[in-house]
Amino acid sequence: MTAVEEELGSRAFKSNVRASLKETEKVKRRDMLGLFMPMIRDAAVKDFDGFEELRQHVKQIKQHSLDNLHHYLSQFVQEAQNNGNHVHFAQDSSEMNSIVLDICQQHDARRIIKGKSMVTEETHLLPHLEKAGMQVIETDLGEYIIQQAGETPSHIVGPALHKSVDEIRELFLQKHALGERELQGPAEMVAEARTVLREHFLKADVGIIGSNALIAESGYSMLVTNEGNGDLCANLPRVMIICTTMDRVVPRAKDAMSLLRLLVRSATGQPVTCYTSFYTGPRREGDTDGPIETHIVLLDNKRSDILASDYREMLQCIRCAACLNHCPIYIGVGGHAYGSVYMGPMGSVLTPLLTSLEESNALPNACTACGRCAEVCPASIPLPDLLRDLRHDETRAKLSPTRWRLGMKIHAWLLCHPWLYHKSTALGMPVLGWLGRKKGSFKSLLLANGWTDERDFPAPQGRTFMQQYQPDRDENNDAG
Amino acid sequence: MTQDNAETELMGKLRRATHQAPAEQIASELTSLGRAPVPALPAQELCEAFLINVLKNQGTINCAANRSEAVKAIASYLHERFHTRKLVAGNDPRLAAMPWRDGGVLPRFGAAEKDPALAPTSASLSYARLGVAETGSIVTFTGKSNPAANNLLVEDHIVLLDVADLVANLDDAWQTINSIQDEEGRPRGVNFISGPSSTADIDAQLVMGAHGPRAWHVILMGDIPDAAMANARGYIEKRLDAL
Repeated sequence: MTAVEEELGSRAFKSNVRASLKETEKVKRRDMLGLFMPMIRDAAVKDFDGFEELRQHVKQIKQHSLDNLHHYLSQFVQEAQNNGNHVHFAQDSSEMNSIVLDICQQHDARRIIKGKSMVTEETHLLPHLEKAGMQVIETDLGEYIIQQAGETPSHIVGPALHKSVDEIRELFLQKHALGERELQGPAEMVAEARTVLREHFLKADVGIIGSNALIAESGYSMLVTNEGNGDLCANLPRVMIICTTMDRVVPRAKDAMSLLRLLVRSATGQPVTCYTSFYTGPRREGDTDGPIETHIVLLDNKRSDILASDYREMLQCIRCAACLNHCPIYIGVGGHAYGSVYMGPMGSVLTPLLTSLEESNALPNACTACGRCAEVCPASIPLPDLLRDLRHDETRAKLSPTRWRLGMKIHAWLLCHPWLYHKSTALGMPVLGWLGRKKGSFKSLLLANGWTDERDFPAPQGRTFMQQYQPDRDENNDAG
Repeated sequence: MTQDNAETELMGKLRRATHQAPAEQIASELTSLGRAPVPALPAQELCEAFLINVLKNQGTINCAANRSEAVKAIASYLHERFHTRKLVAGNDPRLAAMPWRDGGVLPRFGAAEKDPALAPTSASLSYARLGVAETGSIVTFTGKSNPAANNLLVEDHIVLLDVADLVANLDDAWQTINSIQDEEGRPRGVNFISGPSSTADIDAQLVMGAHGPRAWHVILMGDIPDAAMANARGYIEKRLDAL
């Protein structure tokens, strides 16, 4: 997705979907992802007998943290300041971006390295810093690949999983001026990226990272990675900035451990990632490395409104992407179609709440109500319910097409009058059956083009369900 | 909007949206949520379970009965991997007191190479504060005794762990870390390391040596059951055969 397409955001969902379904190779890659990712998650969950019990425990911890967020956030801020951090509050994206830019400018920073952070994707921090003349390098390998390609993440955990090995090879050959070379296979490409990025790590003035959990009792910020890039960002430059949101707060380190056990298994099928790090603040006297100054920027961006709304449960999300990997719509259309930083089921709930329903009402409709997302969500978020509630809001706000709403109104009225519904179907079915008697199906059908565009509609045969079921029911009732 | 305003505004919104219970009540509610279940270990014996999980994390293992044996194990690892006797180690008094001559190891006490013009340091050695059997992790504290660069900027990361510092799970690890902090203060960084640096960002294929160390070698030191290492290797072989 280019920046221009992203500007259109989720308004363009339907046309994005039509385009993405035509990308044959990408469709195959997504199908593989849809098979592979659930498999590795299932294996990790099966290996841990207490997974379901832990899920319930973490849900209670997260709910308790949100119910008492004022208390825990105050505690976190106090502890973080005691540890020597500067803590900043940002009401919206532009405030966060200006706070970060100000810090960078105060330190005359030219070179910035960045770990993976969905929050900074949300605020479009990178272009903001680049506009001010700074060089910003994404250091998570997936993020680095899409930055080089001028794209946005297609997945919140594996941002470049939509790209094939050949595409990445071509990209590296074009972007890295390293002369003639074969660059065969992922191992060689990773080695090349390691060499190129090592220099950026060692020369950077500022490191920006995200946070997987903020621990109220100690003011620590937890960072979970496999590559170690986030830790290099946190330890090498002279200034470190953590960009995060208040819903990451948990009371104790052991709660962060419970969350970690769910997060990693749900995201990558591992019991633990290679690096799980906890940062307090700036370097101490006598230390040979570590930042001289550390900042924590807490973004609100409507999260306090979500906290006060019926959608509070969405703040339990730990960004594992299990719902994406299990969603037939996400696997079908891919992350870019959503036109949002957050995609899949969690994105379809979060995007309208962070932007507006007017802008993003297509997303809550991109749901088959299959319920797999809720089944696998480690934070027990009732995603299909929240999506239904958003559709309800959409209807109440009259945002869906008039024809659709009229149709739904008629349908609802009919369902509220069962005798009329049974009579009309009992009359309608034989007529449809007679019309389709020759071919046995319809190639097109009035008011049902959405169905018949893709496949034939079978002509009804015999009686309606209720006509067949009612005599049995009456008989059973009599017998009972 | 100024910073103070942003903070006041947000805190005000949070106060209105959340419970306003006294701190003691919040603390007792949290306690009433009870303990979280923890994953079972792959072996009953703690050393064996730890070593199995280190191997699962793509690490390599060795055991040493005492400090002299540990130095010899480090020497043979360095020779095998780099044909060298040199390594870099933090200013940790426990490392300074190692009998380096027993293995002919030449440590440089300080941080790994940070000059981009020079070749990266081949190997570093960390003396772990803790080991965690549940995840096969070792824990280091960032600081003078273990600069962060030594965990991250080297080709191979060697870790020495006292068997007495081995705990069963992540919750136990934090209990110990919290009590160390009560005495020593909060370290700048607490690092749980569970394998060499890795990535699966290209085509979902696992590659070792992303940005940090390409290899991770753990030496468990002290009174370790004789069969622990062989049993751990046997466990992994059996798993591989089953695949």
